[in-house]
Amino acid sequence: MRTKAPLFFLAPYLFLFGLFWAWPILYSFYLSFLNTRVYPWHLDPGVNWSRLLQDPFFFVALKNTLFILVVQVPLMLVLALLLALALNSALLRLKGFYRFAFFAPVVVGAVAYSAIFRLLFNTEFGAVNAFLQALGHPGYDWLYAPGPAMAVIVIALTWRWTGYNAIILLAGLQSIPRELYEAASLDGASPWQQFWHVTLPGLRPVLLFALVLSIIGTLQLFTEPFLITGGGPGNATMTLGLYLYQQGFRGFNFGYASAIAYTVALLAAGFSFMQMRLWRER
Amino acid sequence: MKARLLALVPLLGLAWGQSMALRGEITVWSWDIAAKALEAVVPSFNRLYPNVRVRVVDLGNQQVFDRGLAGCAAGGRNLPDVYSVENNEAEVFWSRFPNCFTDLTTFGANQLRNDFPEFKWTELTMGNRIFAIPWDSGPVVVFYRRDLYQRAGIDPSRIETWDEFIEAGRRMLQVTGGRVRMGTIANGQDDEWFRMLANQNGCFYFNNQGTAVTVNQPGCVRALETIKKLVDAGVVAFGGWNEQIQYFRAGAVASAMFGAWYEGTIRTNAPDQAGNWGVFLMPASQRGGVRAANLGGSALAIPASSRNKEAAWAFVRHALATTEGQITMLREYGLVPSYLPALNDPYVRQPQPYWGNQPIWQLVLGTLGRIPPARGTQYFQEARQILTAVQVDFLAGRYRTAEEALDAAARQISRATGLPIAR
Repeated sequence: MRTKAPLFFLAPYLFLFGLFWAWPILYSFYLSFLNTRVYPWHLDPGVNWSRLLQDPFFFVALKNTLFILVVQVPLMLVLALLLALALNSALLRLKGFYRFAFFAPVVVGAVAYSAIFRLLFNTEFGAVNAFLQALGHPGYDWLYAPGPAMAVIVIALTWRWTGYNAIILLAGLQSIPRELYEAASLDGASPWQQFWHVTLPGLRPVLLFALVLSIIGTLQLFTEPFLITGGGPGNATMTLGLYLYQQGFRGFNFGYASAIAYTVALLAAGFSFMQMRLWRER
Repeated sequence: MKARLLALVPLLGLAWGQSMALRGEITVWSWDIAAKALEAVVPSFNRLYPNVRVRVVDLGNQQVFDRGLAGCAAGGRNLPDVYSVENNEAEVFWSRFPNCFTDLTTFGANQLRNDFPEFKWTELTMGNRIFAIPWDSGPVVVFYRRDLYQRAGIDPSRIETWDEFIEAGRRMLQVTGGRVRMGTIANGQDDEWFRMLANQNGCFYFNNQGTAVTVNQPGCVRALETIKKLVDAGVVAFGGWNEQIQYFRAGAVASAMFGAWYEGTIRTNAPDQAGNWGVFLMPASQRGGVRAANLGGSALAIPASSRNKEAAWAFVRHALATTEGQITMLREYGLVPSYLPALNDPYVRQPQPYWGNQPIWQLVLGTLGRIPPARGTQYFQEARQILTAVQVDFLAGRYRTAEEALDAAARQISRATGLPIAR
């Protein structure tokens, strides 16, 4: 009886978890083996997975997603770390205000912020080109040229998520015991040495947390490319998340979308695992 | 003979009594001005069918599509009685969920076949079944700023070919010091100019049977070449939907080419430019060529799960297959009828004040009969995405010729859809 009681109390949760989490996960795995472009759907194990392997769009989306992962995520985390250090500094006044100001972009509605970025980077009337032209540079066709469009996405993501990561890192900074710094100063360690030997090791678990969250977030990236560039021009800012959406809900091809979803999930799991291994305490 | 006549009597009585007998409520899903246009038809519908209450729900375009998909995937649950669908996207529904919608031939939709241009039916029928009735259409025309053209000394009535359009564009650039261009192309976000020009040349992504990829055939090649010429000459700007509106509002472009439903967009976004705008036919790829194409347009379908199909059909028929219904929607919201008898309505010949008193609808509707059919098929979205990407690459110089670019597009579309490339 004693062993069954907890199960009884857990049952409603387990039921809901099974219905809304486990079942969709299993079902989409099954879907990835169906041809969902014919009526009725039928089992055709190779159709989606073999298409995935030879679909140039999928590889462009993968390449773009990895590009953001390798360029934007480190850039953002370094900025966030600098910001966290500044916000933690004893010299800074009005800390509360700055913390709020840097965190605020996360609170702003994605649609509103995307609309503003579209306006800022408008070729003819945007503030960014006006600024560049004032400096004597002709400006860029930001949203309609592949390179600049990707740059806009990177800038937008960085603007939105740096403060968020900085707040997480700030919490980590504050959990490092003060005594460690005091001891280090007594031993004559310079601020730089303190940063390398006290701050960074102390931050390791929090940095890892922020990194894994950013990696998963990037692999699922959808909002910014969808709202700011529409994945374009062409496929220049197409991400895996956006391609999944287009296949599933614009093209009605649930089987193929499921195959893409599983690929994304596997990549996320793989990257996170790699990070955990690399960063593990020796 | 007598027996037959006797049998006719109750039938006639039935028809007469039917309009009173239909009762209940029907729900209609639509979007934006299309929803408002359908609402505008309700009063005249209720004069004939006083016992039917029509509830038009404006969900927005994306929501209608997404909820229709969800409803059909769930076996026809929570769907309205009348469903709006864009022609290009229609076939996805019929081919993935053929049992989700009512075959309208059971209501005699066959008799309406000749009342609409043939190109409007291609995407709404499968075999002998008719799944939706054509609603508005998008005959392509060029909207232009009279004042800007005049200042540059361009006579729109003399622009008959794309080469002449480009020549006029050069002149426009020269006169305005490079500030005003002739139009805006959505390079990279859409391929609508390609679709309009390809359709004009009698070519499209797929053949009209929907059985093969035809995007690399001569008409399409010519379309892509023309776009390159326009871009190379510098007479068009790049911009998506929003930029296109910003540019004509700011006077940065002197014209816009779109389906005629764009009339309402210009009129409502630039009310201060009233009287300065006019319309002319799209230029042909060569002298004497076709100066008509279609872009967009919608249809109305009746989900199989509707519990009041008769009333739903009566409404669809009244809104789409009567001159009164169609002209109401044209007058109030600029929805271009595809119902051919509506072309004879006096309103069509009326001069429109916003358009410098030009009777634009006569010009627009006059092209309906000349529009070559084109078929989106259920793979429309994928083909469009591929072509959008290929167009960017081609304009950036990544292919040597338009033919090479479209051969690559055809291979990609064929691989994505499993359809063979036509020879």
